[in-house]
Amino acid sequence: MRPPRPVLAVATVAVVFLTLPVIGLAQRTPWSSLGDLLGRQSVVQPLVLSLTVSVAAALVIVVLGTPLAWTLARVDIPGRRIIRALVLLPMVLPPVVGGTALLFALGRRGLVGQWLDRWFGLTLPFTTAGAVVAAVFVALPFYVIAVEGALESGSDELEQMAGTLGAGPLQVLRRITLPRLLPAMGAGVALAWARALGEFGATITFAGNLPGRTQTLPLATFLALESDPEEAIALSLVMLTVSLAVLIPMRDRWLPGRRPSR
Amino acid sequence: MVVAALLLPLLACTGPDSDSLTVFAASSLTDVLPALADAYEAETGIAVTAVYGGSNHLTGQLRDGAPADVFLTADARLLGRLETRGETVDFATNHLVVAVPAGNPAAVTGASDLARADMRVVVCAETVPCGAATARMGIVIEADSREISVRAVLSRLALGEADAGVVYATDVAAEPGVELAWPQPEACPCVVYAAAAITDRARSFIGFLTSPTAQETLALHGFSIGAPG
Repeated sequence: MRPPRPVLAVATVAVVFLTLPVIGLAQRTPWSSLGDLLGRQSVVQPLVLSLTVSVAAALVIVVLGTPLAWTLARVDIPGRRIIRALVLLPMVLPPVVGGTALLFALGRRGLVGQWLDRWFGLTLPFTTAGAVVAAVFVALPFYVIAVEGALESGSDELEQMAGTLGAGPLQVLRRITLPRLLPAMGAGVALAWARALGEFGATITFAGNLPGRTQTLPLATFLALESDPEEAIALSLVMLTVSLAVLIPMRDRWLPGRRPSR
Repeated sequence: MVVAALLLPLLACTGPDSDSLTVFAASSLTDVLPALADAYEAETGIAVTAVYGGSNHLTGQLRDGAPADVFLTADARLLGRLETRGETVDFATNHLVVAVPAGNPAAVTGASDLARADMRVVVCAETVPCGAATARMGIVIEADSREISVRAVLSRLALGEADAGVVYATDVAAEPGVELAWPQPEACPCVVYAAAAITDRARSFIGFLTSPTAQETLALHGFSIGAPG
């Protein structure tokens, strides 16, 4: 089929709209001093922290999100629609509100946080673990949606067949469901990880801002914009490069909608 | 075309409005500006729309053409980066204090407590005026977080997340969940608030800020008034 012209035209406008800001960033980049900027401790430190936090968050998300997605897709629990809405809430909640809500729940005087503090001497705000918690909170729904969608659209005929052939439920999960789910899990992790990497509002309200401990790349970029715009641009380029480096290979391997290369 | 048709009416919203002024104000003025705005409107019939933020952040927005008539900054040096109309006016001063959550749960008693590793201390980032002023206080602080505005520090204290923090004297006066860590004399007018007109329409508001009515309101909220020392 020949693609209709108006569709292509609008699609082009959308692509230009999305790439224009990146071009804007690139044309303001001080390319000659970039090497020097990138070597700075104030750039390297948030980069290392951001990678640590976003990878840790991605791991937690897979561990928490996979059983959750499976339950939502396959188990007929009462109030499933309400539970699903609650799970997706962080996607529409302004992250700053999410961070404040996390404080009320897990902060030192929070609903649960006060007991963590009293019983175990654990407090999350102002720690790297707190930054991971904030990232998990905002990014988990992206993973759950991707995996749940795949579970719902994929038929469970194979699973039922394996069941009639004598496989136990856990065996079916391990041998049939999970292997077929891997592409969707990969796509979900990529989305959730990218969201965690860019997380700003919940992190600064819940975890705070301290270089080396809670100051991730987005926080460092925001602060640098006011004191040293060139460094802010360098930090943004680092984020851009890191996410493209991860997402482009993922796109080919995992993300849905791929076509055989022509 | 469709997109343009949808966006154009929204762009038109930013045009000047003859009976209202937009004031960009340092976040430490959050509690006093509504009272000042009411008094100004009662006098002139001109309504005031306030936008609060860190002074540096607001300066950046103004440089990028944000539609404001007046800029009230906690750091007059920032005005050098802007095109302003007429003279700028210093209209109040404020000073920094060490504050704690009400009841002082961590028993903070002196400046040396702020250097303790087990004490959770929160200050402003050095990119905002309160942070720059904190750095000039000359006390050793082992900070657990450097917040992007003084209001964020205040909220950490009010929520009990931090044991101690450095905020403005006026913040302690306005927030019941927060108190002075120990009696602290008015050490220095660390911060001088300056008002600058971004548009010509703003001059009457600038003049109003040094009027007896406005100065009284500022004093009532804990600001120091008169010639800054």
